[in-house]
Amino acid sequence: MSFFGGAECSTAGNPLSQFSKHVQDDKSLQRDRMVGRGPGGLQEGIRNQSMGGGQEQMMDDFMQHQAQIPQGPGPASPFAMEQMRRELEQAAAHRSGSPGWAAEFNPGLEAERPMEPGMAGAKATGFSAAEFARYQQASPNGMARAASPTTSGPGMMAGFHRPMGYSGMGMGMGMNGMGMGMGMMGGNYSPMNQQQETMSKGKERMVELDDRDWEEQFKQLETADQSQLDEQANAAMEAELSDIDRSVPSEANEFGDFESVWKRIQAETANARAMVDEEQRFSEGMHTGDMDQWEGFDGLNTHSLSRDPQLGDYLFEEQNVFKDVIDPFSEGVKIMDEGGNLSLAALAFEAAVQKDPQHVEAWVKLGAAQAQNEKESPAIRALEQALKVDPSNLEALMGLAVSYTNEGYDSTAYRTLERWVATKYPSLIKEPLSNGADIGFTDRHALHEKVTNLFIEAAQLSPSGEHMDPDVQVGLGVLFYGAEEYDKAVDCFGAALASTESGTTNQRSQVHLLWNRLGATLANSGRSEEAIDAYERALALRPNFVRARYNLGVSCINIGCLEEAAQHLLGALAMHKVVEREGREKAKEMMGGNMDDQELDRLVSQNESTNLLDTLRRVFSQMNRRDLGEKVWPNMDVDVFRKEFDF
Amino acid sequence: MSLKNDAFPSSVAFDAIKAALESSPAEKKDAIKKGGAIFAFTLKNKEGKQESWYVDLKKSGAVGSGTAPEGEKPGVTLLMSDEDFGKLIDGKANSQKLFMSGKLKIRGDMMKATKMEPILKKAKTQSKL
Repeated sequence: MSFFGGAECSTAGNPLSQFSKHVQDDKSLQRDRMVGRGPGGLQEGIRNQSMGGGQEQMMDDFMQHQAQIPQGPGPASPFAMEQMRRELEQAAAHRSGSPGWAAEFNPGLEAERPMEPGMAGAKATGFSAAEFARYQQASPNGMARAASPTTSGPGMMAGFHRPMGYSGMGMGMGMNGMGMGMGMMGGNYSPMNQQQETMSKGKERMVELDDRDWEEQFKQLETADQSQLDEQANAAMEAELSDIDRSVPSEANEFGDFESVWKRIQAETANARAMVDEEQRFSEGMHTGDMDQWEGFDGLNTHSLSRDPQLGDYLFEEQNVFKDVIDPFSEGVKIMDEGGNLSLAALAFEAAVQKDPQHVEAWVKLGAAQAQNEKESPAIRALEQALKVDPSNLEALMGLAVSYTNEGYDSTAYRTLERWVATKYPSLIKEPLSNGADIGFTDRHALHEKVTNLFIEAAQLSPSGEHMDPDVQVGLGVLFYGAEEYDKAVDCFGAALASTESGTTNQRSQVHLLWNRLGATLANSGRSEEAIDAYERALALRPNFVRARYNLGVSCINIGCLEEAAQHLLGALAMHKVVEREGREKAKEMMGGNMDDQELDRLVSQNESTNLLDTLRRVFSQMNRRDLGEKVWPNMDVDVFRKEFDF
Repeated sequence: MSLKNDAFPSSVAFDAIKAALESSPAEKKDAIKKGGAIFAFTLKNKEGKQESWYVDLKKSGAVGSGTAPEGEKPGVTLLMSDEDFGKLIDGKANSQKLFMSGKLKIRGDMMKATKMEPILKKAKTQSKL
């Protein structure tokens, strides 16, 4: 028996060493949670009697059996071949459950491919008994709950519940279980050879879940709504089936009844053999197809995370007092540098880009002004426009990454940062940049890791201490912030503030942004008090910095100082309104007093900050001041609140 | 009417959630779309007393005391200590970890429980970079 001896007995191929890898893993945590929850033990599916014992015992048993095997088939011998055969067919049906996923979650399997057939079965013993047990146990809790009235064929593995097959987790389990059986049998019985061939296909699907994968899958499973899951899975199955057997593509549409389909798949088992060489391409196809459908499934964010936000073009204010100014751009720059009103500055830049849509600087400044003015969507639109004109504008890329992060477009933010690093440190880029469209759940994680590594490399290029590139630190901070690693983000922003090297992000005109970013990070990690300090620093530099004021309000809410929160938020809104008054005077000056007051009122209507208004309404309702909340509307007169609040 | 119960300091969060849901109709619609169930929270304070609140994200978007609105049943009930709930709201703990370590118990549909996290996040306004 080729189980132990021979050339195949390499570390990678030796089933024992594979197995021990799993056994040695510390799974105490998961086991703690999962074991003993459902009806105990494995079910009839696994024919090895001793395998039916408690799952604690199971591993030990399994170990012992390993030792017995060389003397013969051992405990597996009484095993009915007919049943085995049936199971194999079912296994083939299983694999159509979601092999793409299995491959997805275990890229490491590729490496196992070159195994020779003789080892195929043995290889399967890479099966982790503990994990199998765990999934079995876990099923009553979650996955199998919705186990629809599908077939529970004779001698079938307990794992063949519909939702489990779909979940990918179930798939791994099913195949693991199968692999187990084959591992015992494989290589001993010549009649088995045929089946083994089938199995050798199956083994490539074998999922040896490690801790990380397991967590990811679990998370994904958790977040997936069952009904959606079914829907998605049906769609995935459909795609897959038509791939498996193109001769019956139309039938794939009649997917309502799983049972009938399942029977059909059984009949197609023979065909499935031809699939071996198709497999690679097939799982690749499934990879994108499948993950695509999962897009946005984690539901934790407001937006679909993998797609680029589609905000459209920048919306200009209809009335712009700077329309007739000769050089609105320098007017705007002047306002910004003097720490003047941001709405006014934004108007100036709007006028500038309306005059010359190719004026990159003006677009960038417009975006910056809108972002500081707590008007995120216009900021994103403006910065995207800037990048259309000049795709390598570092300032626009960084600003955009920050805005995307704020709005929850995480992967878009990561990609933007990747572009930033590729522009500034082209030497670091060794592989093509990630492209936009299809980023799946796991890819997003990988992307984050990849971009973070790029930034760390970039940071290592610069000298340490005070001379490091502050821009890299900011980028890194944004990345950590996106991944909710706030402590690290705080360090990065702190480092950027401490750096004496001049970058774009720590120019004197930008330092207030850094303080605000530091503050926001502190606030989101639950350190509101420290955050307030940081905001005050920012506001000391730029009293008109609306975003910092908004953040200050948010932190006040979070520590329960509602009165102060309302004051800050109203103050921020009042700053938006100032532009009307100032603009009115300015307009009157320019137009010679011929302008209608009513027209001027509409001046700042295009880009209202709903965010500020919503937050203010929240504060009022938390204060049990519904009466005040009802007064909060776009274009409201903030002065009505003056008698209640001092701002 | 405040939902806060002084014996349960973290219950102030229910007021915050309520305020968040009521701050704009869009917010409420969004939450109902994402939640899709009635969530009940049963908190246990240090004295061992228990109290329940619900967040109805099935229909009304209402937040109130008790396990469910009149004539309804919660889709999922989350049981934890007052302290842990406070940490959850502050973002200092995460529900998955609490669950894994046995500090959070879930009765009912666990799938639905996972939808609760974004709702809890609403209790705390996010700051902006």
